[in-house]
Amino acid sequence: MVTAINDDMFSGQAIEDPYGYYGQLRSEDPVHWNEKYKLWVLTRYEDVVWCTRHNELFSSAVFKTDERTPYPEIEESDMGLYDDIRKFFASWFIQHDRPVHMDMRRVLHGYFTPKSMEQWRPMVKSVIKDLLDEADEQGEMDIMRDFATPLPLFVIAQMMGMPYEDRKFIRMLAEKLLFIGRGDIGRMQPLHDGIYELIDYLSPVVEKRIKNPEDDFISVLAEGEKSGIYTREQVVSNAILLLLAGHETTINLICNGSLAFMQHPDQWDLLKNDKGDVVPPLINRATEECLRYDPPVKSIQRIASEDVEMGGKLIRKNDRIRWFITGANRDPEQFEDPDTFDINRWPNAHVGFGSGIHHCLGATLARLEGQEAFKALADRYDTLNLEAREFDYQPSITFRSLKALPVTMAMAAD
Amino acid sequence: MAGKLQVSIDHNVCVGNAMCPHLAGKTFALNDDRQGSVIDPDGDTRENVLEAAEACPVSAITVVDAESGEQLFP
Ligand code: HEM
Ligand code: HEM
Ligand code: SF4
Repeated sequence: MVTAINDDMFSGQAIEDPYGYYGQLRSEDPVHWNEKYKLWVLTRYEDVVWCTRHNELFSSAVFKTDERTPYPEIEESDMGLYDDIRKFFASWFIQHDRPVHMDMRRVLHGYFTPKSMEQWRPMVKSVIKDLLDEADEQGEMDIMRDFATPLPLFVIAQMMGMPYEDRKFIRMLAEKLLFIGRGDIGRMQPLHDGIYELIDYLSPVVEKRIKNPEDDFISVLAEGEKSGIYTREQVVSNAILLLLAGHETTINLICNGSLAFMQHPDQWDLLKNDKGDVVPPLINRATEECLRYDPPVKSIQRIASEDVEMGGKLIRKNDRIRWFITGANRDPEQFEDPDTFDINRWPNAHVGFGSGIHHCLGATLARLEGQEAFKALADRYDTLNLEAREFDYQPSITFRSLKALPVTMAMAAD
Repeated sequence: MAGKLQVSIDHNVCVGNAMCPHLAGKTFALNDDRQGSVIDPDGDTRENVLEAAEACPVSAITVVDAESGEQLFP
């Protein structure tokens, strides 16, 4: 029997326990029409993979195409702001379809491949060491505020060639953009302000890199302008995409992963006693398992480009669709004991980074940060002790994001 | 002329990002599952095949020199 499904994806229950909520949908109505938000909610692994790989049927150009009002609703008077924001988001390459998407992605793709990313590993390690040294002086930290948030930001700032002094400013802006209540009716003004402050900050930097290219990715984007693929506006907005995309996502990998280790001490012990005797290495497997078990990004949005039949339902052209990584990564049809956190799990074809042509451009960087962060924690501390009993999550259906994760640390003996 | 290549794709890892057929379309194509597959290991030049292997975002492609057995990528 099908129990009634509460369509409020922002409700406390769905935000706190998305595995229960989307798990119920997966078993009872895997292709679900959400009447409240008027969109399709997809939760099965097989469907999610199929959809990501059939990009010709599902358009990523959501902001460009979708004339409907945003959800949850915003202030009537903010519709002008929303139009500006839409235009800005629409210029991100993540929001484009083939063939333009391929041209735009290729400009950056080479910079982010596994081979070229490896050179940044020492830099990532040193950022991690500095942050943990600082935390050790206190003997306690909020993993979210003191470790997970600064790490990806400092790393991406280095890759952008941003001066050290500017980090504080960027962090403040990024928080303005990302830590505003997602479902909040008044969210458009701070979002709008944050975007324009970032544009003002980055425009002169882009100007400089066009004249004197360096080895950062803004220079790579600037090359894209020279070859006619990006306009100047797109160079600036896509630099902002890269600044933000690694931000709210990687912080959740670090926090959700640390929490999983604290809640599964046997797996923490396994990691601490890593003999280095498996291929791929345990730390890599563990990072993949964190990405599967409590994925940083919960859902991805598309617009149907044509009518598509799925699971006996008809998705119509122009319908809004959201597929849930949260559902797919715990699908028992794909993963054995899907609700078990098993850092030895391999192979582990989770969809934490999406799949298909839009598969995360920053996946290698995020993996590298996750691997080095979890390794550093396990090397440095005997135990991490949770100092919170309740967990408060951001009210977002896109990100699985803790508000705070306070811990005390017991140092390893040597 | 450079010798022949052995090219393989790990389908447990491939995410169907479709870079390989884009960069070396006589060697790689997408199969029915929309994952990369090898249609002719010597369809493109060695340089193009290696470029495609390097561009794979998840390092799913292995390239071996068929004569010497030397692994060229990764
Ligand atoms: C995967 C492609 C993405 C899609 C389809 C997407 C889609 C959306 C949608 C539909 C909204 C809601 C706008 C509204 O209020 O109506 C939104 C908001 C937002 N997205 Fe994304 N997004 C994507 C990726 C990202 C990434 C990578 C970031 C950077 C971390 C990001 C940052 C934001 C921010 C800051 C907001 C504003 C939150 C708010 O509305 O309060 N998005 N996005
Ligand atoms: C743990 C961290 C991360 C997670 C979980 C994550 C997740 C994702 C997901 C699910 C998508 C697919 C969106 C879609 O299909 O519409 C995506 C795309 C993307 N991500 Fe990430 N991401 C992470 C880190 C990063 C980092 C560090 C960067 C940049 C430096 C980045 C840049 C991008 C970009 C540019 C895209 C768009 C790719 C395209 O459309 O071709 N991400 N990411
Ligand atoms: S480039 Fe890699 S991920 Fe993409 S289709 Fe080819 S093998 Fe698969």
